[in-house]
Amino acid sequence: MGKYKYVVIGGSAGSFQSVTRILEALPVGYPLTIFLTLHRLKHVRKGFVEALALKSKIKVEEPKDKSPFFQGKAYLAPANYHLYIEPGNTFSLSTEEPVNHSRPSIDLTFESAAYVLKEKLIGIVLSGANRDGAAGLKEVKDNGGFAIVQSIEESQVKTMPETALHLSGTTNEFTTDQIIEFLLKQI
Amino acid sequence: MPTVEDIYRFHNTIKEISKYDFTEYSEKSFARRIEKILVDYRLNMDELLDKITEEKDFLEQIVKDITVNTTELFRDPKVWQAIKHRILAKVKKQGTINIWHAGCSTGQEVYSMLILLTELDLLDRVRIYATDINIDVIEKAKIGEYVYRFNIEYIENFKQVIQVNPYNFEEYNNIPFSKYFEVNKVNDTMTVKPLLKNIVSYHKHDLVCEDNIFKTKFDIILCRNVLIYFNTTLQNKLFKLFSDSLNRKGTLILGIHESILGPISSSFIKYGNYYIKK
Repeated sequence: MGKYKYVVIGGSAGSFQSVTRILEALPVGYPLTIFLTLHRLKHVRKGFVEALALKSKIKVEEPKDKSPFFQGKAYLAPANYHLYIEPGNTFSLSTEEPVNHSRPSIDLTFESAAYVLKEKLIGIVLSGANRDGAAGLKEVKDNGGFAIVQSIEESQVKTMPETALHLSGTTNEFTTDQIIEFLLKQI
Repeated sequence: MPTVEDIYRFHNTIKEISKYDFTEYSEKSFARRIEKILVDYRLNMDELLDKITEEKDFLEQIVKDITVNTTELFRDPKVWQAIKHRILAKVKKQGTINIWHAGCSTGQEVYSMLILLTELDLLDRVRIYATDINIDVIEKAKIGEYVYRFNIEYIENFKQVIQVNPYNFEEYNNIPFSKYFEVNKVNDTMTVKPLLKNIVSYHKHDLVCEDNIFKTKFDIILCRNVLIYFNTTLQNKLFKLFSDSLNRKGTLILGIHESILGPISSSFIKYGNYYIKK
């Protein structure tokens, strides 16, 4: 396995297809841990994790508060909770106020993951309609992680990847295919 | 974000000047609360520490600001369906039913319970205690007035719990939301009707440093989305407190993403979204 051991992915409007394609492409036994913080419509509280799991070869689950995370699994931030990565490789959840009108907040997951996982972390911001994720991706980069933004041209909704690109200063603007290729190279 | 050292100084100051103790709170979410406080009051850490040391009222305000008060009427309807059809159905046969809402916030779940108890005709047999560290939210809970427009899902949740029965699809109870709440769209409020008031005993209580203050044991304890703000050490301490405070076969109801992970888990049997004390 290469130097990266964790992947944190943030997405909002227009990101569902990319997320499912990425999960679909990762093989059984893929060794990195994946964290997913995805905005969803307020009334869509259930069924989302099942929809993602349907095509994924790796296990996708919504973590319980204070539960540990393991290699080769994908964890989805539960609806209406912020998802933090805590020191000691456990999750914590919170229902404090939305950040950037979002709960879960991509920034909060990214910032906490960057703080704990440092240069072992890959951060990916996908399509979306608001500014969430930009500050978080900058933290990933500033803490020595690898920052990726979905190609602006490919993104269905461009605000989120554009803001993330500018604020983080990363030059890694990847299409979904390139993201997949990059993730497969980390095995 | 405040540094680890800043948080350490904050913890030490609080312990020195008050009976509060936040050292066992979840690290990242606690740092985020402090960051928000610093931004909201436009203070740096030194100024914050000076101000809480000098002004007692400000310290109390900060304690309130640290705690998170998100709640909902019939939050997670599935859980409330289980409370209605499984848990309350079971305690129905006994004499007095003691219920503790630990961390009751602005009271939505207290009223959810009161509505179920009314519907099941159990209201005159219960003693309900509700506690929170924050006296402001307790006052709000007593009033029972909530914003209407942002909380329209309350009505949807109410329907799912009160009108339909997931265990028997043929059952339908035509009970309107207006039986329990006065909705005023002009003022953008929904207010609990008087029939649910003055039944609950509210108390200020800090789960971190206080024991079971009611000289009684409980049949049902609800503590939902409170423990997520605490680390595993403190969570284990509270699972012990809840276990000690429950009658045998008593029920502990947590948030749907909370679970008993530590040693106390062997004292309980898990059923779906709730735990029964062995």
